[in-house]
Amino acid sequence: MKLLTLALKNLTRNRLRSLLTVLGVAAGMFLYASVQTMQHSLSVATEGNANDTTLVVYRENRFCPMTSRLPEHYLATIERIKGVREVIPIQIAVNNCGASLDVITFRGVPPETLKQYNPNIKVISGSYDDFVKQSDAALVGQHFAERRGLTPGDKFEAVGVNVTVAGIISSDSPQDENVAYVHLPFLQQASRIGLGIVTQFNVRVDSADLLEPVARQIDETFKSDQQPTDTKPEKAFFAETAKQMIELIGFTRWLGLGAVVAVLGLVANAVLLIVRGRVKETAIFQTLGFSRMAIGLMVVFEGVLLGLVGGLIGVLGAMAFFHFKAFTLGNEGLTLALSPSTTVLVSGLVVAVALGLLASLYPAWKATSRPLVQSLNS
Amino acid sequence: MKDNLISIKSVTKSFTKGKTTITPLENLSLDVPRGEFLSLMGPSGSGKTTLLNLIAGIDTPTSGEILINGEDISQLSRAQLTKWRAVHVGYIFQLYHLVPILSAYENVELPLLLGKYSKAERKKKINAALELVGLSDRADHRPSELSGGQEQRVAIARAIVHDPDLLVADEPTGDLDRESADSILNLLNSLAKDHGKTVVMVTHDPKASAAAHRALQLEKGQFSSEGHLLNTSTQ
Ligand SMILES: Nc1ncnc2c1ncn2[C@@H]1O[C@H](COP(=O)(O)OP(=O)(O)OP(=O)(O)O)[C@@H](O)[C@H]1O
Ligand SMILES: [Mg+2]
Repeated sequence: MKLLTLALKNLTRNRLRSLLTVLGVAAGMFLYASVQTMQHSLSVATEGNANDTTLVVYRENRFCPMTSRLPEHYLATIERIKGVREVIPIQIAVNNCGASLDVITFRGVPPETLKQYNPNIKVISGSYDDFVKQSDAALVGQHFAERRGLTPGDKFEAVGVNVTVAGIISSDSPQDENVAYVHLPFLQQASRIGLGIVTQFNVRVDSADLLEPVARQIDETFKSDQQPTDTKPEKAFFAETAKQMIELIGFTRWLGLGAVVAVLGLVANAVLLIVRGRVKETAIFQTLGFSRMAIGLMVVFEGVLLGLVGGLIGVLGAMAFFHFKAFTLGNEGLTLALSPSTTVLVSGLVVAVALGLLASLYPAWKATSRPLVQSLNS
Repeated sequence: MKDNLISIKSVTKSFTKGKTTITPLENLSLDVPRGEFLSLMGPSGSGKTTLLNLIAGIDTPTSGEILINGEDISQLSRAQLTKWRAVHVGYIFQLYHLVPILSAYENVELPLLLGKYSKAERKKKINAALELVGLSDRADHRPSELSGGQEQRVAIARAIVHDPDLLVADEPTGDLDRESADSILNLLNSLAKDHGKTVVMVTHDPKASAAAHRALQLEKGQFSSEGHLLNTSTQ
């Protein structure tokens, strides 16, 4: 029988109090893990996938994919610029331009260039050939497919566009997992934008140091054109379109902090009550020869156990929540899948344990610092 | 020369709270031979518990020496005293103070957790201690399932399981009926007589005191009389 089992037994003494504390911790840690999931998904989406040699050409002063309209024939002009390796025109159709929890994004691309431009894409079911052959075919991102329960051969409709799923794709770029790739001319017609109009061009340059000069040259070229452009490295583009989302999610940081403080207070209060109710018993243990360290550890174990059990329930609850309710947060065409991650799971548990530890340090110190005679007399 | 387990020399103990200082024990000396069952009597507030706590290494004197087995424990730090108690003292409380969530067996096991005993060794010692107090059949019972007298027996088993030289008991029969009290007193007596333990017991009960080898009357921090109620033979 070790200190730990003693601590565990002690927690069963006041079952209701332990249960309520665990529930409170679980609620706090659920909130914390949810906030962390948002933060984590955001950092994965904005930092992880931006390609370092890619430029995004957008219509100047336009921020929503629905309003950025560039003539497709810019393609040829851009391709001729020195340092440009390849260009892909993209038409984007989204159901909602503002911030939304259920964003659906179509990316219209020339089907034959998609694979060449984006070799990361892996077709995990269905086939790429089917996609190329059939004009209303779509390659659907894994996350998108999961959310809508789609398998190859299915037909679905969104934003007024009817497509047939030709394949499900996965990619190391999270953005690809949240969209449906369709044929460019098909999307141009289906979304009534009209042939010859695209939302943006993605331009791959030969090396990272060419990003700046090439971007400047592109914008220079179309400056006096009817549709002037604004060209940015993909990273900066993401950062900008995600700005609102970052602000929104940045705010949730405070919710997470609040949850942490609440958990800390809750556990500290519970452990203080435990310690206060056991002043005499603590003194008895010391009389028997248990060191203050051992008694302090026992108190800390109780706090850590409360944190750990509550944390497990809360964090796993949050993971399950995001798993079964696959949210896709979106703003201005940038989609952000809120998906559970082991990073958040592990960090959530670590935080819960740390909070339990932190919350019980003071009570543990208090429990053992009183003069022994005084505690025996109480 | 007598072999004294306890040798207290000019011990003074004061408590200071704010501006007032209480001195329950002043310049007190006492020798207790090994194997003696000593009872301390005296009115409430006369310093009995204070003296007992000094002997048990729960508190330290303001001045003076307390030699237990030749070691001056008045010089030990709080942490050192804790370690010392774990080896040398068994403390018996008036209200037993068993841990309510643990069985009798587990309560008795507590002092052994502080030493380097294997599980088998612990089991042997615990069973021996429970047998000595006559509660072998109650090992799995929780304190709430035992009578007061039985609880005190478990507490005594807990106090002797690690085989300390010294047992201190603060009104061990104060909360018990006559019959239970007598059996506890017999037990303490036999621990001194048959097992060579030195027992120091505080009591208000003259009958309890009569069970001891020697009785001392404490009054205002001084011994006022000494009674040899039984033959003082310590063997
Ligand atoms: N920790 C303490 N702080 C201050 N004063 C104390 C403390 N412990 C004991 N005293 C005082 O010392 C005196 C002796 O107390 P002690 O507990 O030794 O008496 P006692 O003889 O055991 O009495 P009782 O028979 O009621 O148990 C009392 O006046 C008490 O108020
Ligand atoms: Mg007393």
